[in-house]
Amino acid sequence: MQLSFDPRPFDLLGGFKVWGVVCLVVVALCWGIAALLMFLQSGAPGLARLLDLTAGMFRDFLQTSPRRVWALAVHTFREAARKRALWVFAVFAVLFLFAGWFMPELRQSPDMAIRNYVSFVLRTITWLTIPVVGLLACWGLPEDIRLRSLHTVVTKPVRRQEIVLGRIVGFLGIGLLVLLIVGAVGYVWVVRQVPENFRSQVTARVPIYGELRFLTREGKSEDEQGLEATGVNVGDEAIFRQFVEGNTQARAIWRFEGVDMNRLQNGQLILESTFQSFRTHKGKVDQELLGQFTLVNPKNGVRVPLQPFFNREFRRNSYNVTERNSRGEGGRLELKDEQGRTVDLAKDVLDGGKLDVEVACLSPGQFMGMARPDLFIRLPDRTFLAAYGKGLFSIFLMLTMIVVLGVMSGCFLKGPVATMLTGFIFLVGRLAHDFLQQLTSDKLLDNPKLQMRGRGLLESLYRLPTHLGPQIEVEDNTAQRVIKAIDNVELNALWGVKHLFPDFTQFDATAFVANSFDVPWDAALLPNLATTIGFCVPWIIVGYFALKCRELEAK
Amino acid sequence: MSNLTAFQRKLVYVGGILLLLVPIVLLGSPPDANQAPSRKRSGETEVRVKAGSGGLLSRLRQQHELGEVSLGDVDPTSSTMNLLLLGFRGIATSRLWMDAQDQQKRKEWAELDSTIKSIVLLQPHFLKVWHFQGWNLAYNVSAEWDAVADRYYWVKHGVKFYMEGRDRNEKFPDLYWYTGDTLGKKIGRSDEWKQFREFFRNEPDKEQFPNGFDPEINPDKKDNYLAARDWFIRANDASDTYKNRQRIMAEPLFRFYPARALIDYALALQREGNFGEESRAAWEEAFAEWATKYGREEFDCPIGRIYMEVTEEEAQQFQLADQDKPEENLKTLHWVARYQDMCNYRYWRTRCKIEGEADMAAAHRALFEAEEQYRSADFDSAIATYLDGMKKYEAMLEKYPDLKDDDNTIEEVMIAQLFWRDALRIVEGNEPGDDEQFPLKDMWIKHQNRKPMLLEEFQRRQRTGGRTL
Repeated sequence: MQLSFDPRPFDLLGGFKVWGVVCLVVVALCWGIAALLMFLQSGAPGLARLLDLTAGMFRDFLQTSPRRVWALAVHTFREAARKRALWVFAVFAVLFLFAGWFMPELRQSPDMAIRNYVSFVLRTITWLTIPVVGLLACWGLPEDIRLRSLHTVVTKPVRRQEIVLGRIVGFLGIGLLVLLIVGAVGYVWVVRQVPENFRSQVTARVPIYGELRFLTREGKSEDEQGLEATGVNVGDEAIFRQFVEGNTQARAIWRFEGVDMNRLQNGQLILESTFQSFRTHKGKVDQELLGQFTLVNPKNGVRVPLQPFFNREFRRNSYNVTERNSRGEGGRLELKDEQGRTVDLAKDVLDGGKLDVEVACLSPGQFMGMARPDLFIRLPDRTFLAAYGKGLFSIFLMLTMIVVLGVMSGCFLKGPVATMLTGFIFLVGRLAHDFLQQLTSDKLLDNPKLQMRGRGLLESLYRLPTHLGPQIEVEDNTAQRVIKAIDNVELNALWGVKHLFPDFTQFDATAFVANSFDVPWDAALLPNLATTIGFCVPWIIVGYFALKCRELEAK
Repeated sequence: MSNLTAFQRKLVYVGGILLLLVPIVLLGSPPDANQAPSRKRSGETEVRVKAGSGGLLSRLRQQHELGEVSLGDVDPTSSTMNLLLLGFRGIATSRLWMDAQDQQKRKEWAELDSTIKSIVLLQPHFLKVWHFQGWNLAYNVSAEWDAVADRYYWVKHGVKFYMEGRDRNEKFPDLYWYTGDTLGKKIGRSDEWKQFREFFRNEPDKEQFPNGFDPEINPDKKDNYLAARDWFIRANDASDTYKNRQRIMAEPLFRFYPARALIDYALALQREGNFGEESRAAWEEAFAEWATKYGREEFDCPIGRIYMEVTEEEAQQFQLADQDKPEENLKTLHWVARYQDMCNYRYWRTRCKIEGEADMAAAHRALFEAEEQYRSADFDSAIATYLDGMKKYEAMLEKYPDLKDDDNTIEEVMIAQLFWRDALRIVEGNEPGDDEQFPLKDMWIKHQNRKPMLLEEFQRRQRTGGRTL
């Protein structure tokens, strides 16, 4: 099945730079305000106290004792177990017992059945574990403070960051236990639930994605305005795919890198596609649209047109180049280039490790739609268990963030307020992150080609009464320039604020696992891991300071 | 109470519980399962037996038909979901509707189907939800798929969705009608009608349906129009039984669908080139249903109840009655004519009658075969067969002149003329002028203004061989 998003490799260095800038700004702001307040309150000794506190933080963290953290973690784990947190298993069991009632039976294709079952399991696990662990994390420290049980801990030779870390590790232990058990039950349930004849398709495909570009219907790489050629927009609301016109010179061209015979499945080149079809006339109703791949070696210019294929829309179209083009003696692979000369797949076509695949629609007057992830070279599959495990790992990373956030909030807020703060950050990160992204990036998510004008507060206030839509440019005068300058300041601040809210949607690896893809390291696991570390480290420091500075008697 | 011991207090509580139990049992005990109204899920409507068992509340609920069960089957999942959501059903439903639209926009069909199922769990008795989403699945989602078998799957999915909705709301005729309408119109009249009609009797998915048909939507292995007719009959029965009026169209139009399905069936047979006994029998049955059953059905109008199949004798009686009481402004025949116009009664009556005649079937067959001969480049035979067919057609139109103004007849005659003339041009190099004699000449001259539009249809048939509906 198709992906409706583009899994791009994560830019670790770029991410680290943004993280550094935001951290620096926030630290500078916080430290500056704290210095000013302490100076106003106590003069120079106040500043000295702040410096001492800052230096103390480094001392404390360097002297962290894993033994003490572990002891506190074990204590937290037992406490949580005593609070009947593990009752979540009962809810999980009930949901799975009656899941069949809620699940539509789609027998049209194995993909749809697998997709439904896997989505259900991963979403259920996510939504069951997050509230349980989140509530435990938010209420743990405030309750300890209220019942004064924390007093018995802080009187021991334990540092504040060890309390914070101990709590986090303890709650994560509970979360991990729950996740492992429900994950195992969920895995067995999925495998058993999928009809027997579909089970062979429960797998984890490993793709090599390429970079996509288009040629116009005249076969040019630039359009009339001299811009890079694109496909045709056929009027889909979600402009993810672009379409190439049939029986013209329009092409979609993917460039794959690192294509090596040794990496391929049994030495077979398998192209998998999920193109969409769009008809401008009925054509042959009982026949799908016809497409054709042409393999091009960019190094030596060898062009090999392959046998045409029928595009089965919304299904996996697996094109085994080796099998479909074996016309030689004894079924031997015999590829012919455009001049009719026999060429060798390994020596001529894949020489240099780069491969261009041109896709043409052959049905006149019809269109085939494609986006970057719609064509890939399929490498040997991994097991479904591996992909499922990576999906669970992503959920665990999200759990980690919730736990750290909850514990941090609990360090300076009471239970209900800490829950509200954690819930708020989670909901903004989950539901409104796209919106924030759109506001700060000035591009519409559904159609990145369209610019979103009037994002700033003042410009919006001007556009509303003057009835100027987001597609219309405002006149260029001094007033507008002043408005834009002020709005820029506020939008830059918004850019910073956006980065204080983690994107919780990125932790959802369901789209990969449910569509029978392996969860990629560079496009899913690495960004999740980086985000988790990037947010958790500052949150732990905030928790440490909050606990160090607060008066424990103030319940 | 404060003087009592703990044990005594417990005894008092138990006594209180037992005391409260008496009115609870009297008022709220559920109906006896053996006496409760039975139901069957085969799609047949049935008259509900009023059960008098259970507590007072239960009896009142049954008497006034206030329980959810009085609307149709109760899905325990649906009830559980609604209870669990407390007062948040509206919010949850709105969210699901937004999700469904978003999933449709992204063409995530498995997710869309799942979301729709959740929506109807929360809104099981909201007929518009069933109508909207049933249509959405059968028409919009199916059209998004390129392979005909896939499209057919989603059409069936929409039909099954309507059937499920009918189970939940069996007292309302609307969903019966939508089921029939989709089985008839979507399967029988869409661009893929040839494949869809074939699939309905011979499923493309042999693995899942080894018997060749889907028992859920076609248990009797019927033609799609005949299966649709069964649902239209059930719609009319549900309307009669439960006294719930449909909210789709005027009553005289709604009631004619069982007969109309027979007409569509007969037309479909002709479209497929079946002009034999089966087709003729279908027309005869359609005529019988139209004239003797639907025609004698009574409808409310401002002057009372009228029916459309009025005999000469009855017409005279109505005229006399109108003359007798002019102050009451009865004019029965005026209202009969208005209702007949509303549903094109006289046209379909004549059409059924004429199409049931062997000569008419022979005329259609000749024109159909001539077109086939033309397409296989056997132009000499095509010219002869067209001439034969047009002569027969002309004879029938002399017998039933009303049909000369019928659009379908005009189109069939004009297209036949265009093919015949083209064949003549190819064979003889010219076509007959208006001063020459040829069959159906009057119609050809009279309807020249339609020629440009019909030429497009003629050229389309030349290219694709497809016949219009």
